[in-house]
Formats: sequence, C-alpha cells, structure tokens
Amino acid sequence: MIELVGISKQFGEDLVLKDISLTIATGEVLGIIGPSGSGKSTLLRCINNLEIPTEGEIKIDGKLAYRSEDGKNFSETDVSLTRSKVGMVFQHFNLFPHMTVLQNVCAGPRYVLKMSEEQYRDDAIAILASVGLAEKRDQYPEQLSGGQQQRVAIARALAMKPEAMLFDEVTSALDPELVGEVLAVLRQLADEGMTMGVVTHEMGFVRQVADRVIFMADGRIVEENSPGEFFDHPKHDRTKAFLSSVLSHEKSND
Amino acid sequence: MNFLTILNPGLAWQALPTILKGLVLTLSLTAICGSLSLILGILIALARRSNHRVLKICIGAYVQLFRSTPLMLQLVYIYFALPFIGIRIPALLSGILGLTLHYSAYLCEVYRGAIEGVPRGQWDAAAALGMRNRVIMARVILPQAIRMIIPALTNYMVALLKDTSLVSVITIQEMMFRGQIFAAQTYDYFTVYTVVFFFYFAVGFPGIKLVDYLEKKMKRGYAERSVITDEPSVNIPVGNEND
Repeated sequence: MIELVGISKQFGEDLVLKDISLTIATGEVLGIIGPSGSGKSTLLRCINNLEIPTEGEIKIDGKLAYRSEDGKNFSETDVSLTRSKVGMVFQHFNLFPHMTVLQNVCAGPRYVLKMSEEQYRDDAIAILASVGLAEKRDQYPEQLSGGQQQRVAIARALAMKPEAMLFDEVTSALDPELVGEVLAVLRQLADEGMTMGVVTHEMGFVRQVADRVIFMADGRIVEENSPGEFFDHPKHDRTKAFLSSVLSHEKSND
Repeated sequence: MNFLTILNPGLAWQALPTILKGLVLTLSLTAICGSLSLILGILIALARRSNHRVLKICIGAYVQLFRSTPLMLQLVYIYFALPFIGIRIPALLSGILGLTLHYSAYLCEVYRGAIEGVPRGQWDAAAALGMRNRVIMARVILPQAIRMIIPALTNYMVALLKDTSLVSVITIQEMMFRGQIFAAQTYDYFTVYTVVFFFYFAVGFPGIKLVDYLEKKMKRGYAERSVITDEPSVNIPVGNEND
C-alpha cells in the first residue's frame, strides 16, 4: 500500500505539487490523468524517490519512504531500498543500450540485489516470456521496436519483484499501432493483482482497467472517482473540459 | 642542393640504431603516460563531480592551469624550476609526470563531457531499480560514455605520441633527442630528421587510421559488435522520435 500525505514539491519558484494526499491500496490500479504540466509525472517520481518532496510524507507498506520521523533525509541505502520495492516504467523506455535484452532484465537482481547468475537467470527468462519476448533475449534494445522495448522495460522492473509498479505515460512515445501490445501487458499485470499507478492519456484503458481515477490540474487533485462515474458524470468544469477535448480527439482519430 | 642533403642513405643507416633506441623510449613513454592519463582522467572527472567543495576547486584549478599553458613550459618548470624550491625529480620521472598531468587534464574534460552526454533517463531508470550512485556510474553511465569517446581518446594517444618529443628539452633520450645528438655530431641535420620524421609517421599514421576506423565502428549500433546474434542485424527504428 502506498500512502501520500500532504505532498508538495517545489522546483525553484514553481510549486508543481500542492498538498497532495492519496492512497493506492494493495492490488489497486489507480489511473492518473490530467493535462501536461499538471504534476502527474512529478507525483509518480516522488513516490519512487526520484524526486524528494519539499513537504509531506510517503509511506510504502507502512514505512516512511524518504524521511525519518525526526525529519532527517534517509541515506542512499534507504532510498535505494525504497526504489527497489517500487518498479517504474518511463515514457522513453530508458533501456540500457549497451546491454542485451536479458542483461537489461537481469540488471536489478544482479546490481541491486547482488544475486548470483543461477539465482536470477531462469526467473528473468520467465519474466521475459511473460511479456512475450523470450526469443529476443540476446538482442540489443536498438534492434527492437518501440513496443518491444517498452515491454522489456516493464520486464526489467518486474525482475525486482516490486510491491507496486508506476507507469509514466508508457505509451506516449509509441507509434499508434504499437500501443496495444504494451497496454495488454499492463492489463495482464492488473489482472494478476499488481498494485499500479498509471499516468496515461489512454482514456479507454483507464476506463476498462483502473479501479479508481484521479484527475490532476495545476498540481492539485481536482477530482477522484470510480472510472464509470468519472467518465460518465464528471463533476468539475475543469474535468469536463479536459474530458471533452480528449475524448472528441480520440473519436476523430477512429 | 640535391636529394642527398635531405636523406643521405649511408648516414641514415648509421643513425638507425640510435634512433631505434630512441623510438623504444618514445613508445614506452606513450604507453606509460597514455595508460596513466586514461585512468587518471576518469578519476579526476569523477572527483570533479563530487560535492566536496575544496576538492572541486583544487581540481578545477589544476585542469585550467595545465590546459592553458604549453606542455614544454610545464616540463621545463617541473625539471628545471622545482629544484629551486627543493623538489628534485629525475629527468625521466619529470617527463612522465609532465606528460601525464598535461594529458590527464585534457582527458578529464573529454570524460566529463561524455558522462554528461549520457541521457538523464539512464540515471532515472537505473536509480528506479534501486542502484546506488556508484553502481549506476560503473555499470550504466561509464560504459556508454567511454564507448562514445573511444575515437577521441585514441586521437589524444596519437597526439601524446608526438608530444613525447618535447621531453627532449629536459634531456630525456627519446627519439627526437637522440636524433638531435646524432645530427649535432655529423652536422647533417636533415638526414637524421628525415629518418626521425619517417618513424613518427610510421607509428602515427596507423594510429590516425585506427581513429577513423573506430569512429565508423562506434557510429554503428551496439548489436553489430556482438557475436551472440546469429541473424544479421537490421536497424529497426526505435519509435522514440518524439524526444
């Protein structure tokens, strides 16, 4: 379970997140949507300690993630431990180009958990198979399509056996025909009961797969609801305006 | 004026043994100072990134000083001037020290640029897995950074080979020095210098061709140097053109 209480994040003069409180229950899929610049990505990055919040606290399975009770920042070891429990997948895949597909998937167990090769190898191959890419294991990322690269990136995060997964616009950089294969993997994870935070512009996916949706604008959570209510009966004007522009755009694309 | 002025074959033959001896020292200096600078350059580049303020200022001063003054003067000061403040370093060691400090200062900047050139997303991805900073640097950033600059580093090694000739001013008997001595004894400068010229070219030219080759090789992807893949690799567009 991930709990955020009163999270604010400031970059210089910019207040990017304003007093965000939020819980993602174990096994829950939370859809996070909103216009660009609304703070969605920063929110995800805070959960994984890639950004340290200016204020507030984050608990992962009841443990404070980045700051001790007396307000002192955690050591590199503690931060690394938090990150190893929460997997993250990025818009631009960020695969390690100098490693093969299998080496990418093994990177976490090998360099973070310091496991020996026989301990992680079979597991890594199985995870790669679960995203449908077992036969690509000896290729390099540059030899794969964008959709395949993103699936490897998901496998790489899963190899750490994370307690939750965060997805930061993982289909935004893909050619339209490759979006489906990545969403299918996300759907499969959701079905297996993975705790997930998904920042996305794929409204159809959120409606079908998410258990709950939050809409963010200007660093705040504007609206929060079940997908059905959220899409069919949005309450705030801001939400309505966003949905109508996004959905009409989706329709015109069909 | 005739051809014999530039290259008198008999004299060239006589000069050969001593020049070859010099060549051995030239190559040894290049190998020693080259290896030391390649390693020291990385260490200095990493130290420059640290949060330790005093360390950063000291290293910054050293790099600027050695990059903005001539190598020959640096050598002269290390060997001839330091003794006046009580530091006496033997000639060969002075030469190695001067060349290494000079080239480390340059290589440090090359490494630094390459490290900064690795996309931010690589740090994010490695950090998100839980890797610690040192592991990220060693396993993710440096392997990519160094690959990018292998041609540049090789180029600096060729430059170093030529610059070893400067240590002749502090009496180190490398190829240039031995050539000068031999020429002074025979009063036939051109013949000896032509032989020396030839040997520098004979070693330097393959080095330059190697730089060209490496540049082409590094432009190709990671896949092509691998022997694991049995199918011929094709460049599939990676679909991140939205960058």
